[in-house]
Amino acid sequence: MSRSSAQGSAVVLTGLVLLWIVVVGGLAILNPSAISTATVASILQFSTILALVSLGQMLVILAGGAGIDLSVGGIVSLSAVLGMLGLKAGIPAPMLPAVCLAAGLLLGLFNGLLIARLHILPLIATLGTLFAYSGLALALTGGAAQSGVPAWLLPWGRGALLGIPLPVLTIVVPVFLAAGIVLSATAWGRWIYAMGCNERSARLVGIPVDRTRMILYGLSGLLAGAGGLVSLAWLGSGRPNIGQNLELESLTAAMLGGVAIFGGRGRVGGVLAAVLLLVTLRTALLQLNVNTLWQVGIVGALLVLVLLSDRLTERGDDLWRRLRASLPNGWRRGPIELSRR
Amino acid sequence: MGLLAPTRRELILLAAGAASILVFSAVSPYFGTVDNAAAILRNSVELLLIGLGITLLLAMGSIDVSVGVAMGLVAIVVGKCLEGGLDPALAALAGPLAGAALGLLTGAVVILGSIPAIVGTLGLFGIYRTAIFAALGGQWLSGLPTGLTELLSARVMGIPVTFHVIAAVYLAVWVALRHTPYGPHLLAIGNSAEKAKLSGIRVSAVQFATFVVSGALAGLAATFYVATYRNVEMTTGGSLALDAIAAVVLGGTSVLGGTCSLLGTVLGVLVLRILQNGLLLSGVPSLWQTVVTGGLLVGVLAIEAIAARRPRLLAAGAGR
Repeated sequence: MSRSSAQGSAVVLTGLVLLWIVVVGGLAILNPSAISTATVASILQFSTILALVSLGQMLVILAGGAGIDLSVGGIVSLSAVLGMLGLKAGIPAPMLPAVCLAAGLLLGLFNGLLIARLHILPLIATLGTLFAYSGLALALTGGAAQSGVPAWLLPWGRGALLGIPLPVLTIVVPVFLAAGIVLSATAWGRWIYAMGCNERSARLVGIPVDRTRMILYGLSGLLAGAGGLVSLAWLGSGRPNIGQNLELESLTAAMLGGVAIFGGRGRVGGVLAAVLLLVTLRTALLQLNVNTLWQVGIVGALLVLVLLSDRLTERGDDLWRRLRASLPNGWRRGPIELSRR
Repeated sequence: MGLLAPTRRELILLAAGAASILVFSAVSPYFGTVDNAAAILRNSVELLLIGLGITLLLAMGSIDVSVGVAMGLVAIVVGKCLEGGLDPALAALAGPLAGAALGLLTGAVVILGSIPAIVGTLGLFGIYRTAIFAALGGQWLSGLPTGLTELLSARVMGIPVTFHVIAAVYLAVWVALRHTPYGPHLLAIGNSAEKAKLSGIRVSAVQFATFVVSGALAGLAATFYVATYRNVEMTTGGSLALDAIAAVVLGGTSVLGGTCSLLGTVLGVLVLRILQNGLLLSGVPSLWQTVVTGGLLVGVLAIEAIAARRPRLLAAGAGR
């Protein structure tokens, strides 16, 4: 990697902000009345679940080992459904949040068990659990939304402070801050990057790779469980298909946010910015009365374009390096010259 | 390792298939009938064709999750051809051709862009789905002419044409793998693309060929789909690629590349369809089908992984 990580993430952030300005500008021109504080609040509200799930997705990708979690959407649906079914089975209402979070954590740890202990390829293991979890959410409910979310939960799910939805303030912001601090300022966070950069070396220096990976899949599940809880408090019912397409969207957010698919590179800020961009785009399309099915295609196209442009900039870097190396001595700048002296 | 000699996994699947047939026959009086057997085989056609393509892709160390919706897209092409009054035989050919073109496009994105296949094709999945929506314009394609249906259900030597076509495809893929340089080259790339390149294999060419073949097989599946159902809806093919990957992995082809089992894929597809059909006839709601697919996939892989960790447990039975 020729660019330093910090420079790379600055490039990513600038790109995302520019894209965001294009989207907002386009919306402002095509439908000026859509630009309002209500729209901002709704974008934030719609970002909550995707942001939580994308953070989990980012963590497992970051740690390398072909890490990927296709089951996140299934966990969101199943933890919401399990919470509601638990309520019906007689679990006291104040325990509902704990049930959702615990369900998410356990489902995630099961992924971790398959991947870190049994060494099944993450792609296939989480493909299997995507089937199992999302299928269970549908099968247990017969496909029907589960109503009866306790009334005290709704003000939290739907309320806002200074125009910012409460779930964003109370879950998304703290969780992203914590993840950012852990990743950049603790040994454990450096382990994750180290595992993603070179797993062999990470093992050789004594990092407990398997345990760390297991915990990361557990965390991804926990975050998805939190997403399920937010969906309950926001929508007022447990929908068995609430997590549909989240695997595609969270992967896109992670890639768009500058996370390297092979691990070892990526920042939480980039992922959060990518989530906001994706949801803004979706909201803009909604405001312009574009059918929701177009979004899937646009998200897919964005994913492919981001990956293609990643390759192109790498090739561009290569070209630039070769060009610079071929220049006469006096023209050379940067590390090449320094290393010669 | 022989490509056709039965492996342990194939024997396990054979046993699992036989056992579930016995159990379901005992549970449901409707299961063990000739009509139902025909229905199971009929339902396996698309999954098998797409599964064969996925087998080749996995053996190469690649994957394509967009191939199911690609089939949906091609089904629209075939449907429009029929609606336009094209000769059924030509419409049947339009399927594989359009499929091959889509395969070429998928291959171009993954290979020329050197994007990891899983993310690249996940992106294409979204694009193709929207393309289906755009092509249908929010309406189903339904009540298509019956010409294609008659063509493919006609009997030659007492056996439906569909069966002949599938057998020919299977044989062609088997011959290509076993008796042409394509097979060893494919597996070499699956083991290590780098080393394959160094030993003079034209890696990109083989990769492109495999994506095109997989696309053409999906296109052929679309032809059969249209012939059977005579309609195309928005969700056509939506979950087919993931089902196929599950069936292929069940059949013993590793996602890591370098190995493949065509017979295993056939057995994996049949076991999956037998289980789904049998559970349905035993009164289990159809919503449980995805749970069964996922549970089977996770269960088989987990058992195998545990067995591999404790070799002594199965050493006596495995014989290797």
